[in-house]
Amino acid sequence: MVHRRFTDALTGRKEKQMAGKQMAGGHAQDDLFDSILLADERFRGEGYHEGFERGKCRGLREGQRHGASHGAKLSTEISFYHGFAITWKCLLQTNTDIKSRKRLKALEALLGLIQNSPHEDPQSPTLQGDMEKLRAKFRQVCSMLNIPTDFKDYIKTSEGTSF
Amino acid sequence: MKEALSLVQRVNAHPDSRCWFVSWNPSGSLVASCGGDKAIRIWGREGDSWICKSVLQDGHQRTVRKVAWSPCGNYLASASFDATTCIWKKKDDDFESLTVLEGHENEVKCVAWAPSGNLLATCSRDKSVWVWEVDEEDEYECVTVVNSHTQDVKHVVWHPTQELLASASYDNNICIYREEDDDWECRATLQGHTSTVWSLSFDATGQRLASGSDDRTVKIWKEYPNEAGQDLSWKCVCTLSGYHGRTVYDVAWCPLTGVLATASGDDAVRVFKEDESTGPDQPVFSLAAQVTKAHSQDVNCVAWNPKEAGLLATCSDDGDFAIWRFHED
Repeated sequence: MVHRRFTDALTGRKEKQMAGKQMAGGHAQDDLFDSILLADERFRGEGYHEGFERGKCRGLREGQRHGASHGAKLSTEISFYHGFAITWKCLLQTNTDIKSRKRLKALEALLGLIQNSPHEDPQSPTLQGDMEKLRAKFRQVCSMLNIPTDFKDYIKTSEGTSF
Repeated sequence: MKEALSLVQRVNAHPDSRCWFVSWNPSGSLVASCGGDKAIRIWGREGDSWICKSVLQDGHQRTVRKVAWSPCGNYLASASFDATTCIWKKKDDDFESLTVLEGHENEVKCVAWAPSGNLLATCSRDKSVWVWEVDEEDEYECVTVVNSHTQDVKHVVWHPTQELLASASYDNNICIYREEDDDWECRATLQGHTSTVWSLSFDATGQRLASGSDDRTVKIWKEYPNEAGQDLSWKCVCTLSGYHGRTVYDVAWCPLTGVLATASGDDAVRVFKEDESTGPDQPVFSLAAQVTKAHSQDVNCVAWNPKEAGLLATCSDDGDFAIWRFHED
């Protein structure tokens, strides 16, 4: 349909041009042809830019959603460990036996790792590694406290793997 | 070849199942075997034959993958696919379960005692290596959890003289750990194998490490002192390739004679000897003996008797374990 219209338009234009040729100079003629011949390219280009802008917006929104979700998971995980460590520290603080002192030392180390983790900076190159160290320390502390590490109901690590 | 490997005895240790691992006790008088039948069997010599002295059943819910004797010989640790490590205490001729170490998320692939007897290492498919400390009251406590590997950790082994730990993984790497401020950290990553590293073995002095891999090669690594002083530097000084038709599942360096034994998925057992003429930085090993059909299926483990030179134990997917004698005429 479009093709025929184009062809008709082209024929029509040509006729007018022939007539126009006799009237005006050569320039107008070239522009007319150019605008038809390059129409495909022009529309393609316009379409591309429009699509690109729309895609960029969509991408940004999706990225924001993704980031928010991951950030929330990471924060949930870290604050879980934080609350856990603070609670146990309170419970064991007054004990003086060697076992409790060892456990407190491990809890302090866990709190230290939490404090120093670059959780406010998602671009930090050490974030992944530090999170791994933190998780490993948490598992060790749980082992020392004889707590089974089945917290599936409470948290999921930001990797998506079940804790 | 002047040397030979001859069969002493074959035992159907784990009928209708796989025999995954065999381990000699420190005095060389007993062999512990474990398998897919969830059991551990202790074998002792009576005259010329090896007989089953006791069966440790009900300790695990799934396959027992490896067993390890404590340096004093009074304890046995077993690593299982049921995610636990069981510590057994010897009581006369029998063993009783002392404690169960939990914590790994899934299958425990290996357990190893440090030469000091105070430390235990376990590794698992959950990609982590755990170091446990034992105190005077037989209480076990986890001191470190390390996540240096990116895949299943297949094997852990302690250095014979230093407090140093090595691990091998499905991620093709070997990690070396040292303790720093009560925490064990990966100090060096040995890359070179192009597939899973299944096993590791230090030589008698601990200066060299042998590794067996799914890439069908055995690599020999040597430690080089670093100018910086702290960090360790290990380089591959030799690669044995072209000998194994399939995966090398286990390597064992004899502490008495210095020969290297290998267990392979091609059903063969091989013994390699180092050429005397070559220097320590470029060792050359040659095949001293081999039994191409040592078992009817994959050979999973090789272990040298720590006291009797030349006595070798092997085990296989066919459920058997076998005792061999390596001799040089």
